[in-house]
Amino acid sequence: MPHITLPEGLPGIRGPLAFRPETAKPLNELAEILLRGPSTLAPGERELIATYVSSQNECFFCQSIHGAVAAYHLGGNEKLVLDVKQNYQSAPVSAKLKALLAIAGKVQKGGRHVKAEDIAKARQEGATDLEIHDTVLIAAAFCMYNRYVDGLATWQPDDPAMYRARGALTAREGYGKTA
Amino acid sequence: MKPMFLPEVENSPQPGGRGDMIRQMRNSGKEYPQIWHLFAYRPKATDLLGGFTQEIMRGESPLSPGLRELIAAFTSAGNHCPF
Repeated sequence: MPHITLPEGLPGIRGPLAFRPETAKPLNELAEILLRGPSTLAPGERELIATYVSSQNECFFCQSIHGAVAAYHLGGNEKLVLDVKQNYQSAPVSAKLKALLAIAGKVQKGGRHVKAEDIAKARQEGATDLEIHDTVLIAAAFCMYNRYVDGLATWQPDDPAMYRARGALTAREGYGKTA
Repeated sequence: MKPMFLPEVENSPQPGGRGDMIRQMRNSGKEYPQIWHLFAYRPKATDLLGGFTQEIMRGESPLSPGLRELIAAFTSAGNHCPF
């Protein structure tokens, strides 16, 4: 049961987004530009960062839906999404993405955990300032989305098929494009 | 001011409100909060955060702007973010 009365039948963040359209618009547009806008990081990589941060925040809805979006972008590879959530260091992703995930993980604990050596490591693996910047902003934004979703105790269905279908739709159409 | 982690963010303010403010302060040798660099680097993304902040902090609400700023300041203190 959500802590406040939200529009019914909308899982996770979609309930509070529908409840308050004025704030929904910039929140959706931010997700769209960060996860799907022009970038040298593939949408699948950015969704993996969002999924990892959401799993560290133990936000079931966000890690499920963004995990499904990531898997869709990654050719349906749900195993890779699980590997990244459980132990990205041993997951078959690039050394650059591992360094970016390490930064994202520190942002999740608190911005001040990010140290100069974390940035140096990411640069050494080939990350640009823009990629590091966007990683930090994705991680920070998902801490906000995760807390928004769980701070209102939104309804979060268990059915993986729901997340798979919705994730595929979002991966194809984008954020805030479909009701 | 201490250099930021990402020199490119600090050295490439895009044209527009924040970028102009940064140039003015630099030209007059004054200090300014480095969050301006975050808002000047990737305005397409951060203008949305600005719009969101304006709406949630100053938009129509039964909570007064002062009370909303208190909530923001309290949360920032809890996150150990002095700025």
